[in-house]
Amino acid sequence: MILASFGEDLIRAILQGTPPGTVYALIGLGFVLTYKTSGVFNLAFGAQAYISAAMFFKARQDWEWGIVPALILSVFVLAPAIGLILERLIFRNLRTASAVSKLVIAIGLSVALPALFEIVADYKPVAGRSPTGIVPNGSSVFYDPLGVYPFSRDELAQIAVAVLGMLLLGAIFRFTAAGLAMRAVVESPRMTELAGIPADRISALAWAISSMFAGMAGVLIAPRLPTLISTDFFTLVIVAMAAAALGRLVSLPRALIGGLGLGWFIAIFRTFLPRWSDDYTWLEPFEDNLAPSLPFVVLFGVLVFWPAIRRSIDATDPLSGVDPPPPALASSTRHPLLTMQTRAFGVAFFLLVGWLAFFRADGRWVFLLTQAVILSIIYLSITVITGFAGQISLCQGAFAAIGGFTVFQMADRYDMSVLLAALIGAFIAALVGALLSLPVLRLGGVWLAIATLAFAFFFDAVMVQASWVGGGGTALLSGTEVPRPVLGPIDFGASDRTFLALAIVVFIIVAIGVIQLREGTIGRTLRALRGSEVAAESIGISPARARIIAFAVSAFIAGLGGALLSMQQKNVNYSTNFSPVAALFWLVLVVSLSARTVEGAGQAGFAFALFGPLILEGSLLEWLPFLNEDNLPSFFPISAKWRFVLFGLTAIQFARHPEGMLEFGKRRATHKRNERYYARDAARAAAAELAQ
Amino acid sequence: MNAILESHGITKDFSGIRALNGVDINVGEGERVGLIGPNGAGKTTFFNCLLGILTPDAGTVQFRGNDISNLRVHKRARAGIGRTFQRIELFSDTSVREHLLIAERVHNGSGAFWKDLLGMGRPTAVEIERCDDVLELLGLRELGDEPIEALSLGQGRLVEVGRALMTEPRLLLLDEPSSGLDREETAALAATLREVQAEKGFAILLVEHDVELVSKFTERLYVLDFGSLIAQGPTAETLSDPAVRRAYLGTLEVDSEVGSD
Repeated sequence: MILASFGEDLIRAILQGTPPGTVYALIGLGFVLTYKTSGVFNLAFGAQAYISAAMFFKARQDWEWGIVPALILSVFVLAPAIGLILERLIFRNLRTASAVSKLVIAIGLSVALPALFEIVADYKPVAGRSPTGIVPNGSSVFYDPLGVYPFSRDELAQIAVAVLGMLLLGAIFRFTAAGLAMRAVVESPRMTELAGIPADRISALAWAISSMFAGMAGVLIAPRLPTLISTDFFTLVIVAMAAAALGRLVSLPRALIGGLGLGWFIAIFRTFLPRWSDDYTWLEPFEDNLAPSLPFVVLFGVLVFWPAIRRSIDATDPLSGVDPPPPALASSTRHPLLTMQTRAFGVAFFLLVGWLAFFRADGRWVFLLTQAVILSIIYLSITVITGFAGQISLCQGAFAAIGGFTVFQMADRYDMSVLLAALIGAFIAALVGALLSLPVLRLGGVWLAIATLAFAFFFDAVMVQASWVGGGGTALLSGTEVPRPVLGPIDFGASDRTFLALAIVVFIIVAIGVIQLREGTIGRTLRALRGSEVAAESIGISPARARIIAFAVSAFIAGLGGALLSMQQKNVNYSTNFSPVAALFWLVLVVSLSARTVEGAGQAGFAFALFGPLILEGSLLEWLPFLNEDNLPSFFPISAKWRFVLFGLTAIQFARHPEGMLEFGKRRATHKRNERYYARDAARAAAAELAQ
Repeated sequence: MNAILESHGITKDFSGIRALNGVDINVGEGERVGLIGPNGAGKTTFFNCLLGILTPDAGTVQFRGNDISNLRVHKRARAGIGRTFQRIELFSDTSVREHLLIAERVHNGSGAFWKDLLGMGRPTAVEIERCDDVLELLGLRELGDEPIEALSLGQGRLVEVGRALMTEPRLLLLDEPSSGLDREETAALAATLREVQAEKGFAILLVEHDVELVSKFTERLYVLDFGSLIAQGPTAETLSDPAVRRAYLGTLEVDSEVGSD
């Protein structure tokens, strides 16, 4: 009896898991396809799925189109068109770029594309307007062929369309010359080109197909979501990566099985976990939270515990050695006179801003400036891990959140001094960073980034819900309140200006620490590792040790910054401040400005907090003598989404100028001025010689 | 002569194909030993097994009397094995002197993290002097401040040697140092290496397929073919061994001038 019901439940779970499983398989296939043919770890896949789903939704609901035309527009026209555009304009030119820089660009795109679509198509997610599927009455008509699990029409459509898509792909691979060539391209694009295979056309085809798959998956999966929001679709890409990783990223059939298996696994888990937790009460808290995070757990587990994947990491391009090394920092080649001018300008600039902030600015600007300074502190953590250690970490948001939550918990429970709590939070973050770095250390570039992303989502889905982290229950909704610190006679809560001063002091201390590290043994060691890991090992550098330190330091800084940000807002505000998707934008911002310098972090902090109000809302113009709030040009205020579009798209130049836009501009300017100054020096020297 | 490095029965399979078959070699204190073999003989595999980059399926490596078979790559480096690379491996965005400074710091430095934070991590005058001494020895003194991007391949290889020297190795493994260099550059490199070795007294294991360099530079020779040692002994004798000539130079009748490809 019990066995019979167990069997029935298992079958039900498998049937239930089949519709999402086939969609996961579809998107996993698309993911592997792009990776195989252009070496791009396309994190923008979720964004592409979102765009198709939103387009379909808009055409159906707002324009009242029929299902077929809406489907043709969103999946068969728009999706492949986006794929082709991305391939032609961006990735084709970057075929020889490193896997990490392509990943950074894909992250930039995943930030930019949804915002761009929402601006262009004038789409806004509205709560309560639920997406519909590609068949009429998809969610209300059921079929129960086996008498165990009733499939909705939507679910049957998911299975049918996904299977059709896979058959189509299989046919292309098996029966066309392009399919064969597709398999050759990824090994070494340069080699393939030398062998006369038109790699361009092949990768364009692959991008069109895989983008169509992404769009299709987006439209198919949409009815499962209550509201169409771009961030929900980002998790789709995690699912795709989990499926793809199960296929070791190279095998399409295995990715298919991986996707299907993932769908089944999640359904089985959801069916049986509630029963186990009846017997084992300690499982209960995990019950609700673990299920949605399963894809992340699977992805992380696969990456860390499956040694085979490490061996298949980054097929090395035999010709990669011909790439030029990264250029030296502008400041390291500066003429002394130019250094003095730069410093003088910097001091003058900060005196002016400081004077404005402390004596002129109103509450709103003080708040924004404080936010800018605190974000700059958080961004210094990216300077350490990405700029110095050369690793892409996508879980800085989680580290910062640890700082914020620690302050909240310590103040809430123990009434502890907030500044002390902030330090404890930073140390906890450092500990978590060090522990996290242990299993992921052996993963190289891209895989490390993905593992940290999986961790960020795991933290988001499971840890934040726990009462000893996020306060549990209604705390996340009603607020995780954080007091401002009091230090002796100074109450930083009394005036926002004193808190700004505190933030500036912390920033200066952290910045000096970061510079000391860069110039000291750790910085040199990391630079050596980034330059050549084998060579660094050959002189006795332990890569593991250096990276653990880098991770811990970076997490410490992020935790400290996160604690300060929570104090400033008097609330942790987890989902606005620290969610994994929000933290992706941090990385994009820092990397596209300058990841290797302290100024870069500061500029990124200011860009995050002030770009919107100053530029997009037009405040900068308002300060001009002949303009004010009332006679601004009519296109102000510009949508805040442009911020994501602009910085997301500037991340594209990462492949060419990994030092960042600002650093690149600075180097060019420095170069010119340098030449002039050195020429003058030479002329003077010559004149002096003549005079003798 | 005391053996500083000994390998016993190093065996390595790659998915069923035997790349190394029980290779035994030894290198004496201060000795210059060559390891040659045609392409695909297993030289690089063997080299990587010595350094710990690959784990052999069987066999042990002993260094100065200790079994180092289970040590990681960087631990073996710290034990006193320095190396250079066939395809040059330098730290980008770093000057010549800084290369040596990094190695010097790794070798002699301590308590890095807190010292760094307190600003005591910057290079000291003593360290810089030590680095400059080695640069002097290698004839690179003038290039100390140059970024490595500005160097020729031959100079780059000398920087690799200098970087290795800062860790005061007792054994230097040279991985095809002649690759990418022309005859003159190779000769100059060999001359410099000989001078440095005479001063510092470390042993050298040279993996090479440039017979000319090997014949002039090494005292003793091992010849590897299809994963097995086919000959060993004093360099001149071994090179004239018919089996070696057959394996290494093919069936062509060649005189001793040929071989520097």
